[in-house]
Amino acid sequence: MSIHTPVRIGPAEAKLIEQLGAAGAAAAAERLTTIGLPTRKVESYHYTDLKMLLRAVPELAGAEKATSAPALRIPGAYRIPLTNGVADIDGNEPDGVLAAIVKGSALSERDDVLVRLNAALAASTLKLDIAGEQPTVLHIDRRTEGDAAHMNDSVSLFLADGGKAVVIEIFSGTDEVHVSNHASYVAVGKGAELTHILLDLSPSRATNFAAAEYHVAEGAKLRTITIHAGSVLSRFNLFAKFEGEGAHGDFTGLNLVSEGQHSDVTLELRHAVPRCTAKPLYKQIARGRSTAVFQGKIIVERDAQKTDAKLMMQGLMLSDEAQILSKPELEIFADDVVCGHGSTVGALNDDHMFYLLSRGIPKLEAESMLVRGFLAEVLDPIENDDLHDALEGVVEKWLRGE
Amino acid sequence: MTTPMLEIRNLHARIEEREILKGVNLIVPAGEVHAVMGRNGSGKSTLSYVLAGKEDYEVTEGEVLLDGVNILEMDVAERAAAGLFLAFQYPIEIPGVATMTFLKAAINAQRKARDEGELSTPDFMRAVKDAGRDLNIDSDMLKRALNVGFSGGEKKRAEILQMALLKPKMCVLDETDSGLDIDALKVVSDGVNALRAPNRSMLVITHYQRLLNHIVPDVVHVFSDGRVVESGPKELALELESKGYAGFDGAAFDNEPYDGARA
Repeated sequence: MSIHTPVRIGPAEAKLIEQLGAAGAAAAAERLTTIGLPTRKVESYHYTDLKMLLRAVPELAGAEKATSAPALRIPGAYRIPLTNGVADIDGNEPDGVLAAIVKGSALSERDDVLVRLNAALAASTLKLDIAGEQPTVLHIDRRTEGDAAHMNDSVSLFLADGGKAVVIEIFSGTDEVHVSNHASYVAVGKGAELTHILLDLSPSRATNFAAAEYHVAEGAKLRTITIHAGSVLSRFNLFAKFEGEGAHGDFTGLNLVSEGQHSDVTLELRHAVPRCTAKPLYKQIARGRSTAVFQGKIIVERDAQKTDAKLMMQGLMLSDEAQILSKPELEIFADDVVCGHGSTVGALNDDHMFYLLSRGIPKLEAESMLVRGFLAEVLDPIENDDLHDALEGVVEKWLRGE
Repeated sequence: MTTPMLEIRNLHARIEEREILKGVNLIVPAGEVHAVMGRNGSGKSTLSYVLAGKEDYEVTEGEVLLDGVNILEMDVAERAAAGLFLAFQYPIEIPGVATMTFLKAAINAQRKARDEGELSTPDFMRAVKDAGRDLNIDSDMLKRALNVGFSGGEKKRAEILQMALLKPKMCVLDETDSGLDIDALKVVSDGVNALRAPNRSMLVITHYQRLLNHIVPDVVHVFSDGRVVESGPKELALELESKGYAGFDGAAFDNEPYDGARA
């Protein structure tokens, strides 16, 4: 017999329960009333106690027009605005790209509070069907506009068999105390090659949650890059699954965390079939009083023989008050696999620093060179120069504290 | 008397509580090459780090004048911009920092500190290519991350390449011969000799006499227990080689710097 002690419901939870109820999501409302927001007792939120960190939730977002310039412009990219959950598609998409708006959220059902909220509250999904080799970078400009709002939006991407594409989704918005909760569903067809980037450039007071699920078919190659360079509270919830043999995934990310921020990247990578390879590589930099979190779990199912997966987290502390937390996990049910994980955290290397200084490079520039060097491994595989430079620009700006 | 390029006066330095330099006096006139020889642990490498300004060491007494200017108040980068160059015994590998990016940053930072304009990219490329040719440094090596995966010889050649590009007034070469075979030693020494100039001085720190057959010094200083205990003409190196350092330990310390080169 188990005894349920009712959880104390805080103002953020009360607001969410009210919003779920109004949206007709009675089951989700009931569940949140029973268990509340996850605390550190919930394993997948161990370092990100949402009950404590999420103090308030604003009113649900209404329709708004995008009022500001895009947070980042990528020369030559095709931009699709998605403002407060409403996509602006005009039929001028590049050849091979079909855009449509479908009802509801794109995410699969999952035992995760943010996923449940998005499923209940995202009214529609921007659906992109992509075929062939796309020379143009697709930029999905996901904004939370207007006064402080709780905004849920959703995107689904289907890259056809043999296709090749680069898609970047950028989160930004007005400088308000928004709570944005984004969903991305990504399916990579057989033998297809996709680079998928999620970039958080939300203003400093905003909270940004982004869940992405990846379905990777036979022989496909997927590179994901998640970058946090904004928002006071952030969580990337990444769920990836190899569903066809011989696929490869480079799951990578830069978690750049500044004074007062808490940013969490949680990856669950599931090998369901044999002979897939994966190299998750996450780099975190924390400065000021801030917290960077990485949790990476690789699950190798019984049938997934010959899996080769190596997970790496590298952290760089730029201040004594910063925290970098890392939790790698392996759950292996097959017996013929190569799996590993590593985790390192340190400060900038004094010898490296002295060498650069001794050549006349001033301290700030030397620091910035070393940090760029640390991050280069994640950005360098991006083949499109304009995109690469734009993302380097994001890193530079962060380094300058802008 | 003209201003010496480097003048070290009664230099004392310690790391944590341990005193390592115990009153170094040394004068290197402009255009001269001086060698500092001493056994392991005598403080030779410490001298090079203290001159460069490494933070781990605390100078407790004395002065270091570079071309008449006291550099002890300057930070590491300022000393470099003022014309001091340290060729490392073990050049540092820095992953993720491209060699060319590093070279350009170093050259332009020093030019900026001296109120000179930045070098244009074509001028920079040409300078690197010209300097690299004499040192057998090909473009493949320059494309790699700084010193990463370089052999011992490649690292030392890369140091000399930096020296050639940065055009320092005062070069301190710390155990430049360590880890080099005879062929590599010749390439590196030729590179150093090509940089000898009337307005450039060098302090060659070495354990063995071997290097001094290739880079022939004007003056040799013997270093022992954190001080210069003897100075003399280049033949002193040969004497050291045959007698060993033992004969020089605890020798009466002549407080007058050797000035034999002009005597």
